[in-house]
Amino acid sequence: MTSTHDALDTVRTLTSEGYKYGFVTDIEADEAPPGLNEDTVRFISAKKGEPQWLLEWRLAAFRNWQKMEQPDWAKLRIAPIDYQAATYYSAPKKAAGPKSLDEVDPEILKTYEKLGIPLHERAALAGVAVDAVFDSVSVATTFKETLAELGIIFCSFGEAVREHPELVRKYLGSVVPQGDNFFAALNSAVFSDGSFAYIPAGVRCPMELSTYFRINAAKSGQFERTLIVADVGAYVSYLEGCTAPQRDENQLHAAVVELIALEGAQIKYSTVQNWYPGDAEGRGGIYNFVTKRGACRGKRSKISWTQVETGSAITWKYPSCILEGDESVGEFYSVAITNNLQQADTGTKMIHLGRDTSSTIISKGISAGRGQNTYRGLVRVQPKAQNARNYTQCDSLLIGKRCGAHTVPYIEVRNPSARIEHEATTSKVSEDQLFYCQQRGLSQEDALSLIVNGFCKEVLKELPMEFAVEAQKLLAVSLEGSVG
Amino acid sequence: MCAMAAVKTETVPYLEAFRARTRDSEPAWLVERRRTAAARFAELGFPTRRQEQWRFTNLAPLTQGAFPPNSVENRIQIELAGELPAGAWLGSVQEALRDRPEVLRAALDEAELAGAQPFTLLNAALFDDGYILAIEPGTAVEHPIEVVHRGEGGGSFHPRSVILLGERSSATIVETFEGRGKSWTNSVSTVRLGPNAHLRHVMVQESGPEAIHLGLARAALAAGARYENFLLTLGARLSRFDVHAIIEGEGARCGLAGVTLLRESQEATVATFVDHAAPGGETREVFKCVVDDRAHGVFLGKIAVRPGADKTDAKQVSRNLLLSPRAAVDTKPELEILADDVKCSHGATVGDLDADALFYLRARGIDEAAARAMLIEAFAVDAIEGAVAAGPMRDHLRRRVGAWLEQSGS
Amino acid sequence: MYLLEINNLHARVGDGKQILKGVSLKIAPGEVHAIMGPNGSGKSTLAGVLAGKPGYEVTEGQVLYEGRDLLAMPPDERARAGIFLAFQYPVEIAGVNNMYFLRSALNAVRRARGEKDLDAGQFLKAVREKLKLLEIGEDLLQRAVNLGFSGGEKKRNEIFQMAMLEPKLAILDETDSGLDIDALRVVSNGVNRLRDPKRAIVLITHYQRLLDYVVPDRVHVLGDGRILQSGDKSLALELEKGGYGHLGSAA
Repeated sequence: MTSTHDALDTVRTLTSEGYKYGFVTDIEADEAPPGLNEDTVRFISAKKGEPQWLLEWRLAAFRNWQKMEQPDWAKLRIAPIDYQAATYYSAPKKAAGPKSLDEVDPEILKTYEKLGIPLHERAALAGVAVDAVFDSVSVATTFKETLAELGIIFCSFGEAVREHPELVRKYLGSVVPQGDNFFAALNSAVFSDGSFAYIPAGVRCPMELSTYFRINAAKSGQFERTLIVADVGAYVSYLEGCTAPQRDENQLHAAVVELIALEGAQIKYSTVQNWYPGDAEGRGGIYNFVTKRGACRGKRSKISWTQVETGSAITWKYPSCILEGDESVGEFYSVAITNNLQQADTGTKMIHLGRDTSSTIISKGISAGRGQNTYRGLVRVQPKAQNARNYTQCDSLLIGKRCGAHTVPYIEVRNPSARIEHEATTSKVSEDQLFYCQQRGLSQEDALSLIVNGFCKEVLKELPMEFAVEAQKLLAVSLEGSVG
Repeated sequence: MCAMAAVKTETVPYLEAFRARTRDSEPAWLVERRRTAAARFAELGFPTRRQEQWRFTNLAPLTQGAFPPNSVENRIQIELAGELPAGAWLGSVQEALRDRPEVLRAALDEAELAGAQPFTLLNAALFDDGYILAIEPGTAVEHPIEVVHRGEGGGSFHPRSVILLGERSSATIVETFEGRGKSWTNSVSTVRLGPNAHLRHVMVQESGPEAIHLGLARAALAAGARYENFLLTLGARLSRFDVHAIIEGEGARCGLAGVTLLRESQEATVATFVDHAAPGGETREVFKCVVDDRAHGVFLGKIAVRPGADKTDAKQVSRNLLLSPRAAVDTKPELEILADDVKCSHGATVGDLDADALFYLRARGIDEAAARAMLIEAFAVDAIEGAVAAGPMRDHLRRRVGAWLEQSGS
Repeated sequence: MYLLEINNLHARVGDGKQILKGVSLKIAPGEVHAIMGPNGSGKSTLAGVLAGKPGYEVTEGQVLYEGRDLLAMPPDERARAGIFLAFQYPVEIAGVNNMYFLRSALNAVRRARGEKDLDAGQFLKAVREKLKLLEIGEDLLQRAVNLGFSGGEKKRNEIFQMAMLEPKLAILDETDSGLDIDALRVVSNGVNRLRDPKRAIVLITHYQRLLDYVVPDRVHVLGDGRILQSGDKSLALELEKGGYGHLGSAA
């Protein structure tokens, strides 16, 4: 036993690389004064040159938000958040409307390179159209022309408001209304930018659309808004990656993502969330309060969420599917890791409204250190959802004695033709397993990585190839120092 | 925070009844306890659906009616199939007050540990009925003890039962709850099992169609103790039964099982909580629920494993059968795991009868109604057979299920 | 008169795929027919349609059983009228005791034949007799229907039920699949003992192996939802040599 422990200590020392993406880019920001009131909302709207209807929409959200309280039902311990101390708008000054990559601030481009996503190469080699969100404003969009030829709109949210107001107005808030919940209302009031994608009827988007989010400015919250509409028979796969620099204080991230799939359309939305998780003592780290929801509006539409959540001090996130269309399909594949003092309360809601709708939920929670990991999910079958099917599997893996794994599924059935199956297991990485792998020649680190990757493989296989590789690496990095 | 808040209106009739009742014959400590419980109840009021534990339970029939405490005595009927051995003491609450006040006092301490559930507090303030069973170490009570709680004549009933089993003792108790008319039964049973003690605890709730039943059974298990609880829920328009087990000693085992059969507009919740506070404990839970007509069945099951409760082995299953387009089921099987060396799992299913099995039976000549009844019975009986040893008890429970199915009249 | 007359039967499954595309077949009492064919040819669908299994839709044609419109009858009525399907995959039913199940079925069938219910003693006597025939231990009866049975035990249990219910038309759907040679012999012996001038038997099988033990009067080859060829038992041997491959073109 001692030899195992010695080996673990060695591994820990050798691998404590820390958070690789913790650097701060030094550029002048154009910021709103800290605090939140109607003037802040007006400032943001004016800054972005928004039409009156959008300002009104934001103000309605703000008034809603004022009447709401921060939810406390999740299994999360959250230090009180001073919403008046945060900055609600922060735009890189030099980023006022770059026409091409050449116009993008070189500092920013360097940041992306450190993140491992040089726009040029990445875009060119991988065929990825990147709409990078730097703090709040979209700074560069590539491959726009290729997409435009197919009639696909992929741009910053701000640009969409200017260029395609009718689409934005039609769909904004149609899945996540302004007053949906505390954090969604906050986002609706102060969102600064985000991404917009529209795939016209019958078009299969030929490349993965991708947005990299990054929180840079100190004390700035990030409130991006993503809206993706797949018209009749369209298909799109969307990748979202998130990282943030290392800071001692907590930063707030309250995003809203709305997906709309019309008849026969498919949206695949993949996230690798690697926000700064805080240090080993729990100092700093992102508070990640995200509302993600998709509506399968049409017959045989499909929305699939895949997420790998390794970062953030606190994750509060339930990507959901409203299965309105007959024979529509919802999927949720999730890996969530909590190490050190990270807390995650994440899961999904599958709301079956249409006939012959089906949903699948595969959730893998990994707890290490003193991390607390909760799966919280709802499967609801409404009276008219004839022949609804759900299969849920949620497994928890515990590494060490001071972490926690919790499973809170809600199953609410109002139609007897439903068939709902839910299974959950909890297990640990045993010294026996590690030893067995080591005896076959693997290092302790590789052994753990192997076991964890095996545990997660049903989810990882849902990710687009290059994301899967990155996710596997992230899993290993996130669990460093957790065995022993 | 709300110490100064106004008294909740729904509590008023109960508090008034509490004040009106003189307790001259009772010892001062008991009167004081009742007073404390009543005050706390007044503060909390009835639970609401905003509280997570009550979100699926519609208490309207209770809050909209008035159920002043009913003071008719001797509503409890105790039957023994054989002689009680020398080491066992069994009596009503009134007898216990007279003959064994220390047992009652210890048991009430126990109940307070159960925490501040409003209805448990109300029971603590108002209880008159119930029984106390205390068994000395090493004593085995071979014959089942049968207890029938009757609530007749309207109003509310607050029976309190206490079961204390000394080290290596054993017993079987069958409690039947029969609320009649528009009555509300609010029962609390507390169980303390000494090391290696073994209790089989069967509860049958078969109140009338207008009755309300809220019940709590709370068991604390010392090392090596074994608690087997089986709950059959058939009656009442509104019912909720909480079964809590606390694994306090190493290697204790807990088996919770139940069958709920609902029809018309019945609402029933079964809520279980097993708290593994010591290592090496085992939990096996199987709950089945059959819902017909417009009825609504709820299962809330929580298994918690505290830090250090290693080698815990817990399994929980919730299976639900919906027989009608307007029937509804909510189930929430929950795990809260704070130790890593554990084996925990849960499973839940909701659906209607298996189409293949139905066809198989019909292909052998059995008509549809009979085939359906056979499968429903099999679904329910499976849980009984897994939980209750073969013998008169199992037969009794099977007959109750059979009778329910016959009433369906296909 | 024929016991069973299938005329131009077309059927499809729930997702709309057409499986049977015009099957015609006449079976007289006392005859043993083998229906062979490759996987996906429609053998099990035919068995399912005859027994009234939900999930199939008959789109054309008719089936007469003792001159009655079979397709209008619900599955349990067909069973009581003497049709027995030995399932390819006998269904496991937790919680239903095998003995109780069998007695319910037997009495339902007997009542339909105008016979009296068997009392417990008579039932047990009948059971013991037939158990021996299939070399089944009595303990099997105390278990839940098919639950935890081995593959061989399930198939023997099916034939045992057939022996108890004494059908007029028995359809054995791949009863030989998954059986080792000893189990196959036991099952075949059971079937042979149940051959009777008043009883017709339909053997659905992929292999000719079973037909070495239970010799059929007629052999039909099903392919792509139609009967491609019919003959006596020598046809089965031909198929054994030539396989189904060369028959595909005949469609």
